[in-house]
Amino acid sequence: MALLYPIPFERSGYIYYETVGFLVLLNAMLGIGWNIIGGWAGQFDFGPSIFFAIGAYTAALLSIHLGWNAWLGLLGAVAVSVVICAALTYPVTRLRGHYFAIATVAMWMIAQPIGATWPFINGSQGLFIPVAPGGSFAHGLLTMEFPGRGKGLGFYYLALLLFVLTLVGARAVERSKWGFYFRAVRDDQDGAEGIGIDSRLYKVIARCLMAAVFAAGGTLYGFWALAVFPDQVLEVNWNILPMMAAVVGGLGRLWGPVLGAVILIPISQLMTATLGAGPLAGRGIDLIIYGAVIMLIAGGRPNGLLSLPWARWAARVLGRAPARPQQG
Amino acid sequence: MTLLLQAVADGLQMGLLYALVAVGLTIIWGLMEMINFAHGEFMMLGMFGAWGLSVAMGWDPLVSMVPLAVVMYGAGVLVYRLLMRRVQRGEVFTQIFATVGLFFFLQNGVVALFTSDYRFVNKSLLTGLSGVNIALGGVRVGVPLLVGGLIALALFLILYLLIDRTDFGLALQATAEDRDAAMLVGIRPQRMYAVAWGLGTALVAVAGVILANFFAVYPQAGLSFTVLAYAIVALGGFGSILGTLLAALLVGVVQSVTAAYLPPAFKDAFVFASYILIGLFRPQGLFGRF
Amino acid sequence: MAPLLQVESCTKRFGGLVANRDVSLAIEPREIVGLIGPNGAGKTTLFNCITGALHPDEGRIVLNGTEISRARPERVCRLGIARTWQVVRSFGRMTVLENVICGALRRTSRVGPARARALELLAFTGLAGKEDVEAASLTLADKKRLEITRALATGPSLLLLDEAMSGLTPLETAAAVELVRRIHGELGLAICVVEHVMEVVMPLSHRVVVLDHGEKLTEGPPADVSRDERVITAYLGERYRGRA
Repeated sequence: MALLYPIPFERSGYIYYETVGFLVLLNAMLGIGWNIIGGWAGQFDFGPSIFFAIGAYTAALLSIHLGWNAWLGLLGAVAVSVVICAALTYPVTRLRGHYFAIATVAMWMIAQPIGATWPFINGSQGLFIPVAPGGSFAHGLLTMEFPGRGKGLGFYYLALLLFVLTLVGARAVERSKWGFYFRAVRDDQDGAEGIGIDSRLYKVIARCLMAAVFAAGGTLYGFWALAVFPDQVLEVNWNILPMMAAVVGGLGRLWGPVLGAVILIPISQLMTATLGAGPLAGRGIDLIIYGAVIMLIAGGRPNGLLSLPWARWAARVLGRAPARPQQG
Repeated sequence: MTLLLQAVADGLQMGLLYALVAVGLTIIWGLMEMINFAHGEFMMLGMFGAWGLSVAMGWDPLVSMVPLAVVMYGAGVLVYRLLMRRVQRGEVFTQIFATVGLFFFLQNGVVALFTSDYRFVNKSLLTGLSGVNIALGGVRVGVPLLVGGLIALALFLILYLLIDRTDFGLALQATAEDRDAAMLVGIRPQRMYAVAWGLGTALVAVAGVILANFFAVYPQAGLSFTVLAYAIVALGGFGSILGTLLAALLVGVVQSVTAAYLPPAFKDAFVFASYILIGLFRPQGLFGRF
Repeated sequence: MAPLLQVESCTKRFGGLVANRDVSLAIEPREIVGLIGPNGAGKTTLFNCITGALHPDEGRIVLNGTEISRARPERVCRLGIARTWQVVRSFGRMTVLENVICGALRRTSRVGPARARALELLAFTGLAGKEDVEAASLTLADKKRLEITRALATGPSLLLLDEAMSGLTPLETAAAVELVRRIHGELGLAICVVEHVMEVVMPLSHRVVVLDHGEKLTEGPPADVSRDERVITAYLGERYRGRA
């Protein structure tokens, strides 16, 4: 399988593009994570941002109260997120399809007042992550702290690293027993149980994998923003962008979310930059377009969200093996 | 104790309005087993409609309720014909997805047109009555909310009679039971589905119109109502209209009592948690048929 | 020899309908048991109770000494029962090979060995050469073959076939019967077959159990059962009684 190495932008001074790249990579990574539960396991999760938030908060708290290094914080964030996900998800695995989706939304909505009022995490006043002044670029890579000009570039590479790790991890999962079992549960849950697959267990595993990815992403984001606010990390964008990236790029395909993120984020940024009709209106319009795109895709291929033709075409162009051949 | 009673009274009144919000979902679900993420958005559109007409034409929401209901009925039918009909035969995932798209489209369309600022209906019959209370043994029942609740109840009952007592309602039920059999006796399922969507949308929009008298009008108002409506329908049993009413009243009370004793941000949390609990322990709801 | 599967007084109700009433049967290892009866007799319900898709309201089901009356389907499979369904099921979006690998993963955790086993089984059941075909695009006969292969991959000691021959042409049916014989002969499984086609079930089975209206009517060697008056009446009605 041909791995394309993205060419990093060495544009010092054009920090904006580096930030865009950062966002693309972050969302691509989150998209891959969402794909595990949404594309492979076929369960629609509309509230993954709670794990993004848990990740951001855990890492921030570990840094503030215990002085933990960011990478250790990331590990801690992932651990906490997975444990909470398992606890929350196991009970709702009995729900299918629509019901499960609503349950995930309900969880997200419960998380919002908790985030806004819980004193332990400073409620809606947020947490601020302290940054030690000075420090070289290399030091920054080790601690996710870049005071000064290296920030854009530094975070771009950090995001690239996490993205690659996620991609590699996802690929390993895809080819493993878990990957097979997830897809079995998606295609025919009863049939899967009939051949010995514990559907509830695997739904939990899939969601926990997603939670891990989102927690890592949240950690990265937290250190980038240097502050964690509940309405920022629980924002609806973190719910839909990864999902949209996965769908637009080809649900169920490993590289799908990458393609999707590459398409969607620049569009969003472009609109924010050019429309200039006020930040709120600009933001809204890209979501309007997303909404319209979703409806068109859904209406156009009610049975085929998993095999959008251009995803196959793009995969072939990028040098990957094409999708399985169909025979009569 | 009076605090509790007051909360219960307030909750019952809100419950009536919630019933109106949720009943459309129950009809659509009972008929087609489809879920609409954008349900609350139509309510929000009703709110904006009421506000807009109030500001632009000076119409009282109780008056604009009628034309808005008609328009929203048409909107519901349109959504069915253009979108939902196509995804109905597809996989569940795509169905959810389609309504999510609708959700983003509608909510942000309104944001783009009106921004996210809060708007208020200032001059109407019901807002004029605000502050007027009926005292019932130590409990104050606000007249405006009471009137709103009674209107909702009236509409709810009209709907119930429509479904239960008329030929049309019978046709609707028949299609829900067995689509193919219904076709054999000359009922056109597509038409039933379109009407169901129209009715559901119209009802929730009317609920929005009434609510606009009491609540701020802003684009994001919809989602929490959508989830609330689902909790209600799940609680009362998918497909059961009376179940929806009872569940809505219960939810209204739970919410109100929660708000009385806990920080206001949590008032919905219990309701959502109960949705999850119901899903676990009694998936067919309290009165459900499935 | 202790029976492999023991169903004791299984009763299952759906509201007012008693789908299975006090049904008892035993299946010995390496036995082929035919389960017949008119439509609505409760055969598929019994299968569902055995495999855990449903749970009996009364009675017990014991597999190899382990009670499975309330077990969930995946546990029942792990304990050694595999089934096919009345309406054929497959993982439509996966290839034939991937489908069988899913089954094989029951016995081994690593994809490599699972793949090898899957390929072996596909050759055994006659689907060699179609490994990369998307399951949803197979013909009905091949889908049934796939379903059986997948079930075999889980390494069962008892295979339940629910109307595996329905919808097949005579030629396909003969091939399917041949497959069942080979499965029994070379893999040594116990097999329970629900079937409507008498010409298939009678020659294939060692023993036949007859259900009617949820109750067990009789059981015994095929020759005896086919001559039993009650069975004939159940299938053909009162008018044919006495015309053996």
